[in-house]
Amino acid sequence: MTELTASRRQVLAGATALAGSAAFPCFAFAQGAPIRIGTLTPLTGAGGPYGPVMVKAVKAVIDEVNAAGGVNGRKVELISEDDQTNPEAGVRAARKLIDIDKVSAILGTWASSVTTAVAPLCWESKTFLCTTSGADSITALPHQGYLIRTQPTTTLQGKKFGEFAIEQKAKRVFFLSPQTPFAKSQFDNITMAVKAAGGETASLIYDDKKPAYRTEIDEVLRFKPDAIVFGGYTPDTAVMLKDLYRADFKGTKIAFGYSVNQKLVESVPAEVVDKTFMISPSPAEGSKAYDRLVKMIGVAAPDPYTTQIYDHINLVLMAIAMAGDSSGAAIKDAIRKVSQAPGGARIDNAIDGIKAIAAKQAVDYDGASGPCDFTEIGDISDSKFRYEQVQGGKIVLVKIG
Amino acid sequence: MLSYLIFTLTLCGIYALLALSLNLIWGGVGLVNLGLAGFFAVGAYASAITTGAGAPVIIGWGAALVVGAAVGLIVTFATLRLRDDYLAIVTLGFAEVIRLVALNERWLTNGSDGLSGIKAPLKAELGLQGFSLFYLGLVTLVVLVVWALLSRLDLSPYGRAMKAIREDQQLASFAGKRVLRFKLQAFAVSAAIAALSGALYAHFQSYVSPDHFQPLITIYIFLAVTAGGVGRPSGAVFGAYLVVIFLEATRFATEWVPGLQPVQIAAMREMMIGLALILVLHLKPQGIMPERIPKAPEPAAP
Repeated sequence: MTELTASRRQVLAGATALAGSAAFPCFAFAQGAPIRIGTLTPLTGAGGPYGPVMVKAVKAVIDEVNAAGGVNGRKVELISEDDQTNPEAGVRAARKLIDIDKVSAILGTWASSVTTAVAPLCWESKTFLCTTSGADSITALPHQGYLIRTQPTTTLQGKKFGEFAIEQKAKRVFFLSPQTPFAKSQFDNITMAVKAAGGETASLIYDDKKPAYRTEIDEVLRFKPDAIVFGGYTPDTAVMLKDLYRADFKGTKIAFGYSVNQKLVESVPAEVVDKTFMISPSPAEGSKAYDRLVKMIGVAAPDPYTTQIYDHINLVLMAIAMAGDSSGAAIKDAIRKVSQAPGGARIDNAIDGIKAIAAKQAVDYDGASGPCDFTEIGDISDSKFRYEQVQGGKIVLVKIG
Repeated sequence: MLSYLIFTLTLCGIYALLALSLNLIWGGVGLVNLGLAGFFAVGAYASAITTGAGAPVIIGWGAALVVGAAVGLIVTFATLRLRDDYLAIVTLGFAEVIRLVALNERWLTNGSDGLSGIKAPLKAELGLQGFSLFYLGLVTLVVLVVWALLSRLDLSPYGRAMKAIREDQQLASFAGKRVLRFKLQAFAVSAAIAALSGALYAHFQSYVSPDHFQPLITIYIFLAVTAGGVGRPSGAVFGAYLVVIFLEATRFATEWVPGLQPVQIAAMREMMIGLALILVLHLKPQGIMPERIPKAPEPAAP
């Protein structure tokens, strides 16, 4: 009986200790306290394939920086939360990161709706937010500088699609897309580019859950297009390509790199997808930062979002080192001093950056996703695109530009 | 820490209103409404659009109630002949229709970009912390009022007639109850409560988009009502608080499991939620606060 009481007491003591340590982070603000960085990536839901690798990249950078002595003598701590690719769940997770963990910055929000929902919490609490979402409206929010994004806007992407179609000597371009956050702006910018060269465009928004698209294809072909641009995702684009093949379309086909990917090419007969062009924002393949990232996480061809979040963490840690302060406001003020200082040393990782900053050098970070220079409102000012084509069942690089 | 608690409790209140709405229609007249997220969306958009056009917030909430009730009536008329599983499937479809309308009617809802910058009442006057406290108070007050009214309803002859319809529709109509009218009224009131909850959410978050209204939220509310106890307003409210607190608590609980990758932790949280539902259904099939059925009155002495 006494033994029982003792064990219950032990359990109680254990529980109290747990409760105590759970409450501890709230007042752990002594000198040399760790710098806390939060990731809010999709680990479940539609973005589920991307989030886990993204977190892995951030973790790898933080481990490396900690092993090299941390930032300003302080250790860096990573807190990872799941946004479930849902703005409601994303807001709950962000509140926890901001209010309980008191993170300096939140990295890697992926879906545009999640970013738009989380952004107000960040600027109100003066927490820095780095995102990989593409919707144009995001950087137009009144974010007071607390937001940067590494994904090119849909305006820029649309322009590139239009210009490429013209390069392929197309005069009549058809845009075929399900309803997405970027469908309208994508089409408007394709139209602008094509019209500038004297061409014509038309568009059709379809339901991406249908098993066949005969009627849609008939409508497309009535326009007599020389080029068709696909704005959809992998499953619906595969069906669309099959139906288009049956209708014997001979013109140019252009799609996003994330929809016509290796998986799609393997899943349909080679002639269905042959000669399709793909355009995607290009990671800075071959750059020093990119090679480092590949080695660090052991993934041969990391997706654009992973290269972007790798740049987020490097930039944020360098900005903290530069400012000598880990508050969100300090990061906001210092971020452009490390991403694009004129005449600064070309740096490709946080460890070298922190050393350069300690030596009072100016720093210009060139990352794994690109040069990482930001405009006033937080968009990247320049981005490379990757043009590929399916040739005989293989994806072949056409050019990067 | 404090602001996180305030935020969580406010969200609890919004979920509690949804749970009360579901409890009225499911625990009351026995109609399974899987379209809760749709009514939630209708209210959120109605209020966001009205206040976006310049109306004061209180008018926006009024608009949410009216539009919610009207949509509720339309859905009931459209599903008059359906019961049980068939009704459930149609209401699920209804929620999806609302989401697709919100996604595609860009002139009204701004499509998938959603409506941002929705007015937060008195935020400028009260400041950030003051606003959070004020809003927590407001939402809690609304929950209390709706809870009190629905509890009162349960004890009234009207509530008894509703439950008679739930148990046996034919028998109730045989006893002279106008089943259709009861169903219409209950569905409209339930839809209006869900819409009000959506309106409160919209002005709390200042942003709504079609992505907010995925079926996930309906599932959480079913979990709440099942755990709390179907057919009892107190149970629904208790269940909603329990679910939100449990959802948030799993974040901290999983931090104590060593050696897991973030993605495994995320999966484990979802497993814990599923496990909780199974445990509740297994151990307490009637819910934690089961429905109380008042005894039939003693027949008067002859």
